[in-house]
Amino acid sequence: MGEFKNAGIRPVAISVDSPQTSANLCRRAGYSFTFLSDTDTEVTRRYNLLHHAGGPDGHDIARPAEFLVDSGGVVRWVNFTEDIRVRARADEMLAAARGIR
Amino acid sequence: MPDIAATGLAVQPRRNGLLWAGGLLIIVAVLSNALFFVRMPGQRLLPWLNLVLFVTPVVLLVLGLRRAITRPEVYRGKTAGWILAGLSVFLLAFAVFALYASRNIPDASRAPKVGEQAPDFVLPDTSSKSIRLHDLLSAPMDNGAPPKAVLLVFYRGYW
Repeated sequence: MGEFKNAGIRPVAISVDSPQTSANLCRRAGYSFTFLSDTDTEVTRRYNLLHHAGGPDGHDIARPAEFLVDSGGVVRWVNFTEDIRVRARADEMLAAARGIR
Repeated sequence: MPDIAATGLAVQPRRNGLLWAGGLLIIVAVLSNALFFVRMPGQRLLPWLNLVLFVTPVVLLVLGLRRAITRPEVYRGKTAGWILAGLSVFLLAFAVFALYASRNIPDASRAPKVGEQAPDFVLPDTSSKSIRLHDLLSAPMDNGAPPKAVLLVFYRGYW
């Protein structure tokens, strides 16, 4: 996380969880970055990342995705995993961040 | 060469090492897959190593079981072989199901691509304060400067 900060990257997590659920997660896991709640999946749909009925009890959720967005709002790096167990490579993302300005 | 039975020597069938090695390896394969391989960020070459780890014990088990069935006078392990084979089929089925379930996600071909504008949005944070993407891109970080970039992480939730 410190590496992100040094690279000038602000991490922002987005899920369908309510602000309360995300607040509990942050407290439990000690996360200090921004967590946003897309409870009605409106933004997830806008990014075309909806996983229809992908959550427990058939709830709509987001398929995992990471975007590096520069200060002009332009996407500079993306990662769409094919396997929900496989995470993004932080080194790839940091390399992309170094290429910005 | 005289037949062993004809010599009158009572020879105990040998322990069937292939079977036990196969059974042990398949447990190692499933555990290493669950605990190590899928946790490697952005897999590249490692899935091949993982595949070898799964194929090897199956080959060992088939060979071990075959020699226990065809040459029971030399190799033991007919009963243990079937039990180990059954256990392995169960473990393999579990691993395949986990693989299928975790890859059963919609593709992201219509999601924003590199070079495109990230769609703006306003969403509540953990204290229900409305946050706009534009603000995240321009608000100063701890060092007083705005961030070079924002990393948007969409995750499945239900934590």
